[in-house]
Amino acid sequence: MVTDSYRSHYTFAMDFGTSDFKFGPITCGDAPRVVNNRGYFPDKKSVMYKAFETAPDVIVGEEVPLYLQSNEDLSSRLIYPMRNGVIEKADETAWRVVGALSEYGLSTFTPEPNNGFQGYNVVASLSSVSPRYMYEQLLDTFKQANATGSVRAVTVIPQPFAVAIGHGVTTCVVIESGHGNSQVCPISKYPIRTSQVALNRGGGDANAITSEILKDAGYADLANEEALVRKVKESIGLVPADLDTAILEAKKSPRKFRARHKVPGTRIEIDLEKDSWTRFLIGEYVFNPNHEIFESYFGRGMPRPKDVKMGDTVFRGMLDFGDAIIASVERCPVELQPLLYREILLSGGNFSWTVPEPLEAVAVDAPTKIKLLLRDKGIKNVSVKMTKSPQFSVWHGCIIYGFAVPDEYEWDWQRLEGWMKFSG
Amino acid sequence: MANLPIEERLLHYFLAMGGQSAEPIPNSPPGLSLLIGPDKTFVAILSNDTFIQRNKILGSILDLSALRSSVHQLYLAAPKLLGTAIDADVFRSHGIGLLLFDDRRIEEIVPPQPTQPPQTTQIVQNTDPAFATELASLKSMYLEMERTISNLREELKTFQQSVPTAPSSPERITAPPMVQTQRQFTGPGAELPSFFTNNPWLEVLSKRGREESGLLAG
Repeated sequence: MVTDSYRSHYTFAMDFGTSDFKFGPITCGDAPRVVNNRGYFPDKKSVMYKAFETAPDVIVGEEVPLYLQSNEDLSSRLIYPMRNGVIEKADETAWRVVGALSEYGLSTFTPEPNNGFQGYNVVASLSSVSPRYMYEQLLDTFKQANATGSVRAVTVIPQPFAVAIGHGVTTCVVIESGHGNSQVCPISKYPIRTSQVALNRGGGDANAITSEILKDAGYADLANEEALVRKVKESIGLVPADLDTAILEAKKSPRKFRARHKVPGTRIEIDLEKDSWTRFLIGEYVFNPNHEIFESYFGRGMPRPKDVKMGDTVFRGMLDFGDAIIASVERCPVELQPLLYREILLSGGNFSWTVPEPLEAVAVDAPTKIKLLLRDKGIKNVSVKMTKSPQFSVWHGCIIYGFAVPDEYEWDWQRLEGWMKFSG
Repeated sequence: MANLPIEERLLHYFLAMGGQSAEPIPNSPPGLSLLIGPDKTFVAILSNDTFIQRNKILGSILDLSALRSSVHQLYLAAPKLLGTAIDADVFRSHGIGLLLFDDRRIEEIVPPQPTQPPQTTQIVQNTDPAFATELASLKSMYLEMERTISNLREELKTFQQSVPTAPSSPERITAPPMVQTQRQFTGPGAELPSFFTNNPWLEVLSKRGREESGLLAG
């Protein structure tokens, strides 16, 4: 194998996920560094800030907790720029966080001087629904970082494309489901951007229905604690093979399906008792919010996932995952469609659902649920898999992309691929 | 013992050290030829009258140096009386041992530095009979091979004369071989992460910009 010695040392990948920022050079091996994808803007008027005036405007990385001030300020000062996958063009604070994270990532891996380093070849990944201005802003950020000589060339690729590369499949459909939204993206050596379908539904919506379930079960005081609600969702939430059957079974044997969650380090124990059947609503809502049972929640004030337009993309609110996959695949050439159904890859924390052994007859994992949804719509010859390394598959894909794509493949604004070179 | 001539005293000295008397070395100055273990040793002897022959010491050193090629160890034995006139460093630099003697004692002042005399003549003289047999066998095989090649040449010549001219020889390929300019990816290098193993994207992505753009890409 002929390898490019420079790129086998100085390829750098950055995955701007909704919650975490994963970054590092190829020399990290299989696992990159991970910090929260967030930045904190300290109150410059505070006494603490005046006493220790060394803090920068925006703090990112592992030091963020050291600077956090009062809880009241957190929502306005602690910024998660990629929470919804898309940053508004005018959202200056969010872009400052992205810039600070990029610089933090590069400065964490500053090579030794005088070893032939001419700057990293950086591959950054963004949500597949990112509008063009996000590419422009991000590339500008790296242009500024190049002032220190740390960047030689940069490119940006969509996260589902990186997932497919990291998983080693060249023709497939990738479904990436994060906190705020989900993206269905067909790939056939290139991302087929015109066939993408975006959903305005993600892990955050599963949290929302979990919160409603807690309120109904008498835990209204805990239902607003976001971190706790998320833990409860992960602990008791189940994906039903068929919701009606699962509810029937759970109501027949409430003891067998009992949902309980003990909050570590406290006296709090959440027990859904006779309402334990509601644990199936959490998983079902992620995959298909169209069951009539959810209407009662919408009627009582839980916001219905709406169709929204962000940038050039319409995010569908109520489309179930089966319909979303079919809509996406059917926008591709007919002869490609069977090949796409044969490799469906699921990526992202919103697909991490466990199946307790005694409940295997009624509860399923995410790949099985997708298969069942497609089967109900007449698509049978499908293969659905979770990515090999759900947490790092995007970063892996970026590293492979940066290593393999030739230097002379220049950035093309129409294709949104290639290297934007800054020097050399 | 003190009444014995110095030659005999020196012989006894070396016999006591495990040496034995040996055949005289051709063209050597007056002295003793000995074998100490496997090492051939020669001892040149200076007499008391050397004191009045000023160049005798230097001459003896030169004579001994000339024996370097055939003797392992060289000594010069001189009366103790001459000790003050002798520079031991000259002996050390030439690797020659120095023995000083008087009527009562013989003392090694400078130990000799053993040398490895050339073995050529010895090898020829001490040729292993098995080696000689092997050599003869190889020679015979070589002659046989030469004969075989010669016969083959003759047969080929005869064959070429008997075969008529070829009806049509295949056309030679004149185009230069294709030069592989693209990088080939067959597996990860030693320093690459494990997720590179058998990843088909390495091949696909390495062709970016060198193939027609994908029509499906938006």
